[in-house]
Amino acid sequence: MYERIIPWQPTAIAGPKQALLVTPKTAKMMIKRAKRPLFVVGPIIKEDPLLKLTIDIANKWNIPIVTTGDAYKTLRDRDTNSNPYGIVEITNLLKDPEWKGVNGEGQHDLVMFIGCIYYIASQGLSTLKHFAPHLKTLTICKFFHSNADASFPNMKDEEWLNYLEKMKIA
Amino acid sequence: MVIHVAPKELKNDFWKSKDIKISFGEIIYDGEDSEEKESELEMGPTPKPNVTDLRSWDMKLLDRYEPFYAPFCDMCCLCTYGKCDLTDGKKGACGIDIKAQQARIVLLACCIGAAAHSAHARHLLEHLIEKKGEDFPIDLGMNIEIEAPIIRTVVGIIPKNLGDLREAMDYMEEQNLHLLSACHTGQEGSNIDFESKALHAGLMDNLGKEIGDISQIVALNLPKGDEDAPLVELGMGTIDREKPVVLCIGHNVSSGAGIIDYVENNALEDNMEVCGICCAAIDISRYNQHAKVVGPISKQLKFIRSGVADVIVVDEQCIRTDVVEEAQKNQAKLIATTDKSCMGLPDMTNEDPDKIVSQLVNNQIEGALILDPDKVGEVATKVALKISKDRKKLKILPEMDEIQEMASECTECGWCTRVCPNSLPMMGAILEAGKGDFSKMEELNDNDICYSCGRCEQECERDLPIMSMMARIGENKIKEQKFNIRAGRGPIQDVEIRRVGAPIVLGDIPGVIAFVGCTNYPDGASDVARMAEEFLERNYIVVTSGCGAMSIGEYRDEDGKTLYEKYSGDFDAKGLVNVGSCVSNAHIPGACIKIANIFAKKPLEGNFEEIADYILNRVGACGVAWGAYSQKAAAIATGINRWGIPVVLGPHGTKYRRLFLGRTDLDEKWKINDMRNVTVVQGEPAPEHLLYAAENREEATVAVAKLCLRPNDTSKGRQLKLNHYIDIHRKYFGTIPEDVYKYIRVEKDIPITYKKDIKAILDERGWAPKKIISEPSIRDFKGQSSPENFKNKSHPKADAK
Ligand code: SF4
Ligand code: SF4
Ligand code: SF4
Repeated sequence: MYERIIPWQPTAIAGPKQALLVTPKTAKMMIKRAKRPLFVVGPIIKEDPLLKLTIDIANKWNIPIVTTGDAYKTLRDRDTNSNPYGIVEITNLLKDPEWKGVNGEGQHDLVMFIGCIYYIASQGLSTLKHFAPHLKTLTICKFFHSNADASFPNMKDEEWLNYLEKMKIA
Repeated sequence: MVIHVAPKELKNDFWKSKDIKISFGEIIYDGEDSEEKESELEMGPTPKPNVTDLRSWDMKLLDRYEPFYAPFCDMCCLCTYGKCDLTDGKKGACGIDIKAQQARIVLLACCIGAAAHSAHARHLLEHLIEKKGEDFPIDLGMNIEIEAPIIRTVVGIIPKNLGDLREAMDYMEEQNLHLLSACHTGQEGSNIDFESKALHAGLMDNLGKEIGDISQIVALNLPKGDEDAPLVELGMGTIDREKPVVLCIGHNVSSGAGIIDYVENNALEDNMEVCGICCAAIDISRYNQHAKVVGPISKQLKFIRSGVADVIVVDEQCIRTDVVEEAQKNQAKLIATTDKSCMGLPDMTNEDPDKIVSQLVNNQIEGALILDPDKVGEVATKVALKISKDRKKLKILPEMDEIQEMASECTECGWCTRVCPNSLPMMGAILEAGKGDFSKMEELNDNDICYSCGRCEQECERDLPIMSMMARIGENKIKEQKFNIRAGRGPIQDVEIRRVGAPIVLGDIPGVIAFVGCTNYPDGASDVARMAEEFLERNYIVVTSGCGAMSIGEYRDEDGKTLYEKYSGDFDAKGLVNVGSCVSNAHIPGACIKIANIFAKKPLEGNFEEIADYILNRVGACGVAWGAYSQKAAAIATGINRWGIPVVLGPHGTKYRRLFLGRTDLDEKWKINDMRNVTVVQGEPAPEHLLYAAENREEATVAVAKLCLRPNDTSKGRQLKLNHYIDIHRKYFGTIPEDVYKYIRVEKDIPITYKKDIKAILDERGWAPKKIISEPSIRDFKGQSSPENFKNKSHPKADAK
């Protein structure tokens, strides 16, 4: 069990404050409770079944998507619209309580991440942990991210895909 | 003799308050063409700026490009009150908060980086003065009159000989001491002031590097801005393994030069190989083109493990600190050569060389510390000649069948991948190797995707010697590892600046992109070369240095050519300019400073702020430190930033904890002064960020193209720059970028190829033409008092409200 809830890269551990380990059930609860969730999709998501699962999850919950790296093109090739930002740019905007959000409707209150490079995501989550008390972060990668508020555990592919399948159903 | 453009004791306030010109009669130049000349030099307001003298400039930069923090550690353990937990708004026992703590660590990193470059420079300077004398002239040849643009601008002196550089060095050392002291518990309390100090440390780093490189160029007769500097051999496959091999690792050329001198003086050139890793390689190959470049720092452990080197000579910076142990593994002999890295070895500096040789050869000592470069030359050569034959018989690396056998013991614990900085799939590669398929391990070895940091190996629960396995697998393709690199040319010539100054400032040359720094790449070395290739093909000027320059050399295009073979070394459109080693990085801001001086006639001496403001608003230059890992790289980037030059880092760059990001959504951040009309006008977000980290090459390439935009671009220049930005965006993102409307000031700015699409975007955005600002600046209007600068959100007082 221990191996599942220390950061995937063990040295990413930053201090005493650690993410809550969540299952798809809790993760979905967080989305349901959120008023203005945002889904950040990184460039690691390139192929199916992950790509399809990611798009399905966004559609299921009707969450606006921000793509980082060059993930914008990957999603666009699947007719899925998104807002391209650098991961540091979107993090910078998310930490500002006055920012109006990707749709201009107000700052987001939940940010769900998938597919960003582990260590840069960890740094972005650290920024949000420290400087964005107005929102919660949730990571649904197969890696435990201790800098998030809530994270899936470290998992093997099969279990992860199973988790993501569950994220598609309400 | 140094030309002081202002008497030292009258500096600071006196000079700031009065616009004084000093006329020099009777300046006697040393050297052959001694003559009486009259020179009139104008001293700017800030010669030898103190820690706070450029603070108001920093506040302007930091207001627009606010520091963005990504804490790498939530705690502080610097004093015995600690550890202190700084999460959830908690402060340390000393009162420091998480932002200031991050900024403090950044300052510390910049001080360390500046100290490393500058202590290196001081060592070189004193060593070369000892060899050549204080009066040895600083002569960079016919085409370079502005010999030291950074020293001129920051220190306010025109150094004429080696001895004069001491004044700049003294100043730098004093500043770095003050800056370092600010890191002590209970000193600075504001993150913004820490950042201002970090910017100062970065500037001191720039200065130290310039001193170091100028000293070695003139005293060791390295290429002096030579665009046709020779191509030198690069790659592990270029080393003749049958010969005795001396390998230099690090940055300080003195011991490498000592070895080459000894080899030449004894006519041993054909009998042995002298090669280098990291900047030591670049600098010995600038000294003598027969020296070979093994490659960047990513090759270090691989090459040591391969056992090819008989003698390993380490000097300073970025050397593996376990090199004694690594050398012993394959009976190579280690010589440490600087006070920075003594490695626990006995000091043999004053011993008879033959005695040292015999003690090393007979294993009476595990290595030697020799602080005399000439003696290093003799000992290293003699030892290599003596032991090489026997060492060649040693079996150093495992055979392929042994690798397979070892790999088959893997337990699939997965920790090699988890501890890898890049989460490389080492476990998968090992598992395949266990079945006799080595292709995955080969893939990791190619292009240094695995940069042989060795973390996986020490984690392996089966103690698999993963690095030795990788080194052996690399040998299979060793013959392909033959490339080249243009020897580091040093500064950009004044004549080149005269030629390209206008096209750069007006935008006809779309930008100057500098690929610098180390090899902590997210996905191998070829990314850097591919970025360089992309911008070269598009007519940008590409400048490079250090490990970046070597990574570029290790790549061949579709026709099998290296980029150094394909592109000239001219500082001009489509030129690929290798300036040299880490310390040669100084010539990159140096070229931008020269543009302000030669093209725009801005006086340099003591005139930092005006020059930096000019560069920020007019010179479309952008640095890329794709694999930056070191504290030196932190200092380099921060120093470059203070001159108004944006830098893009790779994803690992976020671990520096701090970036400088602009907010394109906030118009008020981009208000700019039009100096000609003395009005504040709405500017555009150009350059958008000052220090940015991209997640992958595709994102970085787009960001770099955008970061070359400047408020001063002419419409023709803007069209060209936007054309590249849009092209690259379409290539990697598939669309015309949505924000293009922000950079169209008037219809003439619209690139013709994209006219229809852009017009549609403009209509949708309700775009209206804006006036092109004739003299954009973020400086105060003349006569306006500087406290204005502090009325910004970044200022601690504003924060406190
Ligand atoms: S320096 Fe300050 S924050 Fe750091 S350990 Fe000491 S008291 Fe705590
Ligand atoms: S040596 Fe370093 S970079 Fe290479 S696989 Fe091992 S941990 Fe990763
Ligand atoms: S650490 Fe060693 S045993 Fe574990 S997966 Fe990697 S190679 Fe196999």
